[in-house]
Amino acid sequence: MSGTEMIGVDVGGTFTDVVGIEDGQIKVAKVPTNVAASDTSVLAGAEALGVAQAAVFNLASTAGLNAVITRRVPKIGFLTTIGHRDILDRGRIGRPLTALTDMSWRRGISDASRPLVPRYLRRGIHERITAHGDVLIELDEAQALEQIALLGKCGVEGVAICLINAYVDGRHERLLRDLVRQQLGDLPCSISSEVSPLAKEYARASTTVVDTVMKSKYGEYTARLDKGLRSLGFGGQLNFADCSARLLPADYAMERPYRLVVGGPAAGTVSSAHFGGYIGDGNLICADVGGTSCDISVVIDGQPWVNTTFELEHDLLVNALSTDIVTLGAGGGSIVSITPTGEVQVGPDSAGASPGPACYGQGGDRPTMTDAALLMGILDGDRFLGGKMPLRRDLALAAFERLETNLSLGQRVQYAWRMGLNNVAEGILDIAIRRGIDPRDFSLVAFGAAGPMLLPALLDSIPLRRVIVPPHPGLFSALGLVSSDLVYSDHRSAYTILSGDTAAQIDAIFASMEAGLIERADASKGDAVFVRSFDARLVGQSWETPFVEVPAGPITPATIDTMIASFHDTYERRNGNRFPAFPVQGVTWRVELVVPTPKVDHVRLAPTAGPPDAVRTLALQHLYTDDAICIEYERNALRCGDVITGPAVIREPMSTTFVPMDRTLTCGEFGELVIH
Amino acid sequence: MSDQQVTVSTTVERESVEGTCPECGRQELKRYPVLSDGGWFLAVKCQHCLCSVSRTPWNRLGSVIRLEDLL
Repeated sequence: MSGTEMIGVDVGGTFTDVVGIEDGQIKVAKVPTNVAASDTSVLAGAEALGVAQAAVFNLASTAGLNAVITRRVPKIGFLTTIGHRDILDRGRIGRPLTALTDMSWRRGISDASRPLVPRYLRRGIHERITAHGDVLIELDEAQALEQIALLGKCGVEGVAICLINAYVDGRHERLLRDLVRQQLGDLPCSISSEVSPLAKEYARASTTVVDTVMKSKYGEYTARLDKGLRSLGFGGQLNFADCSARLLPADYAMERPYRLVVGGPAAGTVSSAHFGGYIGDGNLICADVGGTSCDISVVIDGQPWVNTTFELEHDLLVNALSTDIVTLGAGGGSIVSITPTGEVQVGPDSAGASPGPACYGQGGDRPTMTDAALLMGILDGDRFLGGKMPLRRDLALAAFERLETNLSLGQRVQYAWRMGLNNVAEGILDIAIRRGIDPRDFSLVAFGAAGPMLLPALLDSIPLRRVIVPPHPGLFSALGLVSSDLVYSDHRSAYTILSGDTAAQIDAIFASMEAGLIERADASKGDAVFVRSFDARLVGQSWETPFVEVPAGPITPATIDTMIASFHDTYERRNGNRFPAFPVQGVTWRVELVVPTPKVDHVRLAPTAGPPDAVRTLALQHLYTDDAICIEYERNALRCGDVITGPAVIREPMSTTFVPMDRTLTCGEFGELVIH
Repeated sequence: MSDQQVTVSTTVERESVEGTCPECGRQELKRYPVLSDGGWFLAVKCQHCLCSVSRTPWNRLGSVIRLEDLL
């Protein structure tokens, strides 16, 4: 045995999941999360799997998100140009759709609600830099010191600084930071010109405040974690997952920790994209179905669909690249109920993990999708979770019988099943339409504990290319933490019309950012590659089209022509039309330095040796008009090329795959179950 | 513009309140109405650091008293 080679840890609100790879085999540990000191949970998980031989230790946590949402944040002061301290109240002005006519609605981040920084701790500073970077009003140091002293008296534990137009020139912000350190000592202090030098002051201010919060939360945490891992014999690289589940070395991550605010949820998308590379499929709709919710994301041409900002709650923005994930209230624990008009309804309420579905026998008395699957015969109550948690059919039956309706038992179960599936189908179709993608060109990757059981049936309601159940579907999301590369990134705003005359100016921007990244990353990482892109708009527009490709090499007038063509192509792909007569204005310039790092290697299966052996036959009830005979198989026994015709169920310890009637399952080269 | 400068100021009466600001420690508390996005409040605020020591909802339209509020 060589020991665990790489480890991925996902710190959740209840449990900390630890996944390790050893000799190509996946090892798992699950430990309760100590919310007050989650590093102890991480270390306990690390100890359980052993880290002495690990080359990488990749950590994702939603601790930052939870702290911000619950406002369990340290007392932060905010310094901005005088007259602008209410930018944190104002947000982007807009209301959510559901609150358009609600007079009692209040913006959650405002001083009247739950501000991250109360108004009295937001102080105005006499200074002004113009949009062109000229100093209009010199920074009044005496007045600034007075305001900083006041913050000191109020006992702030960190200071966020965001001055108007600082993305063009950060000299006043740097000066202010020096004054803060001089007056208040070495407390966490973030300045917007370093954290996120992008135009549009609200998102920049909000990002800077979140960065200060994260510095306070993660500063000592990382040091304790690193020390604890070293004491367990770990000698490899500690990495954090960012909002798109890409990995950042710990010391680099701590320079701008706002990027870690939502680590974890994107891991399933990264895992899908990584696995898609193995099976040669780059167009994927990824669906992670758990007990409570269904997280849906999209991968196009092997790349996850990424947004330029992340909204922690309405109007609480961070300028972090984040995988676009839509969450539906549909899962195995979605509760079945009868509406006042007598219709069967599934979700959005969920029984969650506690009490859980009625068949868990933990006190739940309301029927769920899991209870329906048990009554239909898709789930095997004796072998649920590998036999560790037997399910009680009598309790599931009693829960459905308690529903106040004249429908027969069979109708209740069947209608609930169909409604639950329809909820997911509608959600996926909605997302496909919004992204402008045709589901016929996309494979649906079904993972999470309940995904393989529910999603193959969607082939009957959505024109999907196929459904793919990857290996280890119950752990597939956590595997994303060992499926990603290290990424160093930089971005900055500079409004520039794309023309031959501005080629040198744009070249200087990229050269400056790339030089900074090369200096920051380890020089020995010779196989690293730069990926450039920019956000741009047609002149006159107030919004940008993000992630337009930029060719490698020096930016010349010829390159500019390519960039303009690339912009129009990207614009047309996203919006369906193009306006080549309009000049193009670049707004934000982005560079990533991608450094390959060890990843999980999916193992090839042996070729088939004839039809797979069935374990037994089952009777499916309530699913079709008449009862049907269903064949049961063990996933471990399947080989590459095996073909199974539905109805069939495929068992494995942490999941069950259901192949509907008239559908065909083929086992692929890497153990993927492909259902057509 | 006329030759005569007209200075217009909007202000409210501020009533001194005894006590110490829990944040900055100054004894400069005053009570006066303020308008925020939650509506009008009668706030006790520290005049030094502007911390709101207390806020209670005030007249719905501020200084404009509606007839029905007098009933």
